Amino acid sequence: MLSAEDWQAVALSLQVAMAAVIVSFPLGLGLAWLLARKRFPGKFAVETIVALPLVLPPVVTGYLLLVLFGGNGWIGHWLRRWLGVEIIFTWKAAALASAVMAFPLMVRSIRSAIEMVDPRLEQAARTLGAGPLDAFFTITLPLARRGVVAGCVLAFARSIGEFGATIMIAGNIPGDTRTIPLAIYSELDSPGGAERSTGLVVASIAIAVLAMVVSEALNRGRDSRKIAANRSSNA
Amino acid sequence: MTQPALRFNARHGFPSGFTLDIEFAADDGVTALFGPSGSGKTTTLNILAGVLAPQRAKIALGDRVLVDTTTHVALPAEQRRIGIVFQNQRLFPHLSVEQNLRYGARRRPARDVDFARVVEILELREFLARTPESLSGGQQQRIALGRAVLRGPELLLLDEPLTGLDSRLKHRISDYLDQLIFEFKIPTLLVSHDQADVRRLAQQIVILDAGRVVAAGPTRPTLDQAILGGQTPAPAPLNLVRIEHLSVVGRHIEGRIGDQCFYLPKSAIVSEQTAFARFSPSDVTLSRSPIAGISIRNQLRGSVAEIVSKNDSAFVRIELGGQSIWAEITPEAIATLELTVGAPAVCLIKATAAEIV
Repeated sequence: MLSAEDWQAVALSLQVAMAAVIVSFPLGLGLAWLLARKRFPGKFAVETIVALPLVLPPVVTGYLLLVLFGGNGWIGHWLRRWLGVEIIFTWKAAALASAVMAFPLMVRSIRSAIEMVDPRLEQAARTLGAGPLDAFFTITLPLARRGVVAGCVLAFARSIGEFGATIMIAGNIPGDTRTIPLAIYSELDSPGGAERSTGLVVASIAIAVLAMVVSEALNRGRDSRKIAANRSSNA
Repeated sequence: MTQPALRFNARHGFPSGFTLDIEFAADDGVTALFGPSGSGKTTTLNILAGVLAPQRAKIALGDRVLVDTTTHVALPAEQRRIGIVFQNQRLFPHLSVEQNLRYGARRRPARDVDFARVVEILELREFLARTPESLSGGQQQRIALGRAVLRGPELLLLDEPLTGLDSRLKHRISDYLDQLIFEFKIPTLLVSHDQADVRRLAQQIVILDAGRVVAAGPTRPTLDQAILGGQTPAPAPLNLVRIEHLSVVGRHIEGRIGDQCFYLPKSAIVSEQTAFARFSPSDVTLSRSPIAGISIRNQLRGSVAEIVSKNDSAFVRIELGGQSIWAEITPEAIATLELTVGAPAVCLIKATAAEIV
């Protein structure tokens, strides 16, 4: 059902989405914690900037990224000069676009999960000798795990579907930057493309469903183990 | 150690206008921090726990300075070595009972406390694999207690540890507390608004009102004096007497205060040999000699140690067998009975008025 080119698009999409989630996760986690737990000057500005990709036209976000990461852009120039890294029109650009577009969803989900964790539990951990990071990783993060996993899955799914910003900074190069949405778009542009794109449509749906199943399994797995432990000790 | 375990001196103003300004010391044994709500107990606890940074303070635990605002010292909570049992336990719901208990012990405890022994004292062995949510309030309270003790603290802070528990549980948790504090010799600060809890557990007391220390000293006399002097809102001193050699006899419970007999209604729960009976001074009638032909069964002989008048009442303290019982009577009755300090008197207490705690 899938041609070699289709498989290429699927593999690339998975690679791009994975990279987008993995790279943005530490930053998203830190920022979500900061927004959930701290009050600081300029907090509203940070919140607004983080949420911006959600409301801006993706093409505009893509354009802004192009300006920043292009060969003459502030960051692009610096990356090329000091690290010899070229971003624009490579799969890395597609991952960057996906990460930026999915970032608000990830932060929002993790932030509300952290806000649900009673800060008094963290205080209790501190009085028991845990430093701030220790308390975060042993108390806050495990208790917020549902929202954290959900945030990552959401970001992953959003990345798989990313189109507008990607086409702006990564282009539509088969095998290099042509992800599933771009491949479908390209197929539909040519005669008989509707039939040829069916496989990719099914693949998108399958990936989305799989992502949800995996996240559900991750959550359930822990809970059922806990319940089983309680049952066995009750007996 | 010659210096007191805890020296606390702090001043902190809130935007609401409430200002805490207190100084006290707590030594080995149990010291109560007693006062009505709004007196500054919680603020003191938060300052000690490191949750609230006071505007001006000097706090030392043994020879370690925890907070000194003049030299900008403020140890983070995890370095203070204060074990806290919070009012609503704050157990970690995602960890098993054993993981909860070991949480502090795993993180460089101030000193080693034997895990097996704490589990034994608190009778927690059968629950170790469970999660805290699946346990009752009293069991959760025991875990919180064990967790704080296993941290190996230099000071144990108990925030209303018996509030919200029924009398049977209060009695048991008090016993657990006694055992732990006795066995591991941890200086303890008990935050409470409950006279019975304070009288039952604390040897020393610091009485707070409106953010100030109004009195401090040995629990019984200090608390009695503060209440009768109107320095704290409690209307009357509560009687809490230790009853020993309890046994069920027929339809009632019999015990002893010194060499005298004390009867309690059978509804009271007796699981131990020793318990405390609480009753109000208004439930105590005085006479000069034992009375025959009366339904009141408890007739305890003692001698008048103190007479204090408050409002329109007179409070008479009778000493017997090393313990004290307050009776609230009218000033006229004092004249009629010719009660003076040192005079013999008999306390008449209805068995049903006493409650075991």
